Amino acid sequence: MKGRVLNTSIMASVAAVVVVMWVMLASVPKTSAIPAFSRKYQTSCTTCHNNYPELNDFGEAFKKNGFKFPKDDETFVKEPPVLLGSKAQKEAFPGAVYPGEIPGSIPIAFRYSGNFNYNAKQPIAAGFLPRTDLFVPNTFTIIGAGSFGPTLSFWVDNDISAGGDNAAAGLGDGYLKFNDLGHAFGLPKDTLNLRMGQFELELPITQARTINLTPYDVYSQASIAPIANAACAMVGSPSGTPCTTNNPLQFGIPQRGIEIGGYPNDGYFIWSLAVVDGANNGPALRNSKDVYARVSQRFNLERDPESRSAVQAAGPTGPHDHTSIRFGAFYYYGRNALNMDNSLFPGFGTVREPFYRVGGDIRFKYRNQLEIYGVGMYGHDQNLLPNAATGAGFIRTSPVTFTGGFAQANYWVYPWMIALLRYDFVNSPTDFFNGASRYDTRNRFSPGIQFLVRANIKLAFEYQHRWERPVTLNNGNTIFFRPNGIVSGIDYVF
Amino acid sequence: MSLSTIAAKAAVAASLALVLTGAGRANEIKGKVSVQGIKSAENIAVYVDAIPDKKFDAPKDHVVIDQRKMAFIQHVVAVQQGTTVDFLNSDPVGHNVYWPSISGNKKLSHNLGTWPKGEKKPFQFNDLGTASLLCNVHPEMSGYVVVVPTPYFAVTDKDGNFEIKNVPAGKYTLKTWSEDGKPTTQAVEVSPTTTTVELTVKK
Repeated sequence: MKGRVLNTSIMASVAAVVVVMWVMLASVPKTSAIPAFSRKYQTSCTTCHNNYPELNDFGEAFKKNGFKFPKDDETFVKEPPVLLGSKAQKEAFPGAVYPGEIPGSIPIAFRYSGNFNYNAKQPIAAGFLPRTDLFVPNTFTIIGAGSFGPTLSFWVDNDISAGGDNAAAGLGDGYLKFNDLGHAFGLPKDTLNLRMGQFELELPITQARTINLTPYDVYSQASIAPIANAACAMVGSPSGTPCTTNNPLQFGIPQRGIEIGGYPNDGYFIWSLAVVDGANNGPALRNSKDVYARVSQRFNLERDPESRSAVQAAGPTGPHDHTSIRFGAFYYYGRNALNMDNSLFPGFGTVREPFYRVGGDIRFKYRNQLEIYGVGMYGHDQNLLPNAATGAGFIRTSPVTFTGGFAQANYWVYPWMIALLRYDFVNSPTDFFNGASRYDTRNRFSPGIQFLVRANIKLAFEYQHRWERPVTLNNGNTIFFRPNGIVSGIDYVF
Repeated sequence: MSLSTIAAKAAVAASLALVLTGAGRANEIKGKVSVQGIKSAENIAVYVDAIPDKKFDAPKDHVVIDQRKMAFIQHVVAVQQGTTVDFLNSDPVGHNVYWPSISGNKKLSHNLGTWPKGEKKPFQFNDLGTASLLCNVHPEMSGYVVVVPTPYFAVTDKDGNFEIKNVPAGKYTLKTWSEDGKPTTQAVEVSPTTTTVELTVKK
């Protein structure tokens, strides 16, 4: 029995390495600005975006209102919807289907983004990496979004191709949302909404609508037990016995599930409670579901009392985003499960490892000129050992943990030129054991600049100063190499 | 009085009224603007240029430009120099009104800021030229205030027709301003009756 456990442990180790590499290279689905709304309202992208796809105050209000203007939406719609039943049909309900509507024209938009990469010279022992790579990733996305009436909205975005023709891509978000359900119970506007389908969690800082060319490292962090077994050995387990934590969850990838939440008080307070599969894009991997909760509160720093209650603040040079600060906290809990079919550790039964992610965030915004935000996260996965002594069951060992986060500042030099400075860090002893970095902490500095050539066309540049990676040479020596690089991208929507 | 007598008197009265009305239309310039290389002849300002040794008092009446459904209404407004324009916001969304220059003179740029729905903000246009009205959050919005030196001006309708009333008889220079076309200049002699002109604006 013990021999079989050891064989499977090698397989598990190999699998872990593969997962780590996948984690390092994974691209995160991106959603984007919606030219379909531009067409519907005959308005520019800048109505909702200061630097698409990031939303400004008006865009946030538009989204929270079910993709409708915050006030008097009907007067602004230039493409009237098709009624699926007259409004008077409401009186006939439940004797008739409740009336709804669909957008007057097909609410579809398209996005293309492609990156030009310049890579630091990589030691050949780490594998060949071309110094330059044109338009990778190379993604074409179709986006559909809109409303089905006053209280229903929808969103679908799908990367039709990524990397090349017919390359594997997939659904980003695809959900139906019931807006302002609390109205029926006399609750304040937008206190209670229901969303179901596949969606990005109510993250502190969105990954799906990021303006960056690369995802936040901590959002891509998975928990994989160390191959070197040092952590396992610390609790005196038999040498070579693997730890079991192998949790592929990544925060920045959409989840499938159901969410209730709301944003009363004009979105100053936001709450979200979601039950999700915990499997990101793939099919469910276990029976249990995960729970995600988040709350945040914004404080308005505008002096003018009238502006404070408006969607956008009034200024001497025009409306602008509110000068504000938001604080938030989030918590994610799940129970990862392995060996359900007994193939990994025959005879040991299913191993269930509770895990959680907890963190906080802060976001400061000064009008349309400057924003500074940061997120800190702590991850904790229980890590069980197959009990080799008894040949059955599992015993606890050191948990797999990580801390991480990012801080970013964006400054609008002009409305069309945005300077960015970003710092990512992940402190993960397990990744260190797995050979991902020279030290426990992986740091990345990413200054960048972006140009809105038009409201729907963007050129973006990002330099990445990365952490050192160990590379073992043929002679057995280890050297350390920084996979720095420059990424520049073109991005347009229509 | 017989029915035929009443009908005859009514006909005479109607004819007299028509004659009097016709007399009221005297001293006017009527015309049509044709365009070449431009999509439409609508919204072209036509005005009598400055008249030597003649000054006009600034009008007391204000002109209103509305911001409604995220558009400036009217798109092109011609005003006499010194006119005060009231900028109204009829939208529940925030707008501002600014112009980066007046006929290219950036020193005359101005930003009126933001104000709530239903309120107006006045501005007196004392400088000749064209102010391109913009909103810095809705770049699709645009409007024009064409500030002209005389009270004799008009803006063409969708067919390019215009009518400038109460122009004293005399010789003048007629000018045009359009969003997409070059300015045109044409001499015109206004007689005590209606003067008809044809103008062509080219891209």
